[in-house]
Amino acid sequence: MVTAPRPWLHGFLDLCLLAMLRERPDYGYGLAQRLAAAGVADVPGGTLYPALLRLEQQGLAEPRWQPSESGPRRKYYAVTEAGRAALDAQVAEWQRFRDGIDLLVTAGAAR
Amino acid sequence: MSGTPPGLPDPAGDRDGRDGWTGGRDGWTGRFEDELLRLGLQPARARRLAEETAQQAAESATAPDALFGPAHLYARHLLTELNTAAPPAAVPPRATQPGAIQPGAIQPGAIQPGAVRPGAIQPGPVRLRLTGVGKRYRRRTVFSGVDLTVRAGEVTAIVGANGCGKSTLLRICAGLTRPTTGTVHRTRRVGFVPQDGGTAGWLTAGEHFRLFGAAAGLAARRAGSTGEHLAARLAWRPEPGQLAQHLSGGTRQKLNLVLGELHAPDLLLLDEPYQGFDQGTYLDFWKQVLAWRDAGKAVVVVTHLLHDLQHVNHVHDLGAAQ
Repeated sequence: MVTAPRPWLHGFLDLCLLAMLRERPDYGYGLAQRLAAAGVADVPGGTLYPALLRLEQQGLAEPRWQPSESGPRRKYYAVTEAGRAALDAQVAEWQRFRDGIDLLVTAGAAR
Repeated sequence: MSGTPPGLPDPAGDRDGRDGWTGGRDGWTGRFEDELLRLGLQPARARRLAEETAQQAAESATAPDALFGPAHLYARHLLTELNTAAPPAAVPPRATQPGAIQPGAIQPGAIQPGAVRPGAIQPGPVRLRLTGVGKRYRRRTVFSGVDLTVRAGEVTAIVGANGCGKSTLLRICAGLTRPTTGTVHRTRRVGFVPQDGGTAGWLTAGEHFRLFGAAAGLAARRAGSTGEHLAARLAWRPEPGQLAQHLSGGTRQKLNLVLGELHAPDLLLLDEPYQGFDQGTYLDFWKQVLAWRDAGKAVVVVTHLLHDLQHVNHVHDLGAAQ
């Protein structure tokens, strides 16, 4: 069983991927690096690539093969219109969730 | 390539080992494709997924087994992941609580209802259909108006709080309890695994196999060897002469599972069959459920463990159906 190091990332991985793709199209390894650089998580390939395929299958992200200067060609993903709409919905959901957690964790810590 | 960290390694780090595993049907990619085919994927789609997976490994300059683990396990994992996103097509809207039980599937709004799952095994003929089923004991209504359709190649979970009638509903599915209202249509070959009981303490595992086999019209030797074979798939080798009452609780449940499957039923009804299983056995159990599904059997599992639900096609929340 392949799991993300932090179990609660799982629910928000699609959100993170779509958000990064809205910023600019990217390929799997690049996305993994951006996630790591943001301090979100080191996402194993066995978690990342199925998620990307799923986004593609749902029509939320669109792949395009591109040659790379060094090494094999890469599969770049771009967000689709449906992907943007899904992202907006998920961002709203995330913010509600985050605000709720913030409220809970700061409630007793203030004094 | 030793000591690969959990994340993706630096692509500039190791380029020498790349040749030999991006192309060709040999090695990891071949095994991966074979497993996809074995799981029932269309050959063209299996080939494309295998090629893409090899490409993904190549773009991070890592050997596929370092990036994804063993080929056959990743094939199953990938299919499960892709199927998890499938729309819960046959579940009535009131029975699903995606927010509550499937934190992984996070965009219900983005999924087209009724859309075909590409690459997924298409659900087969209906094996079980409940229409308007209700159960009342005297004046107490346990549940009412339950509609449920289970097809070949699908796993359905029945969830709900303690006392909401999950086990009663499963017994109605099996034909062991009569519903107060509604109709039940089921396939002829049904396997039922109760939550506990169901085995006789003074018989050995082998005697159970022959006894239950006889009831299903299996010859004694055939029943015995089939039982041994099924037990082995749950990592259990029955000891000759050991009575069921001397088995551990978990092993007795394995015996129950084997007995439920002995006569190769089309529909398997399981009532929390993993009581007393340790973690490894518990994972074996779910692997077995997915193997049944992929072999075209219809499976209904009563469960209260919500994290099990990543494995199932449909969820029927009995508490919410009130």
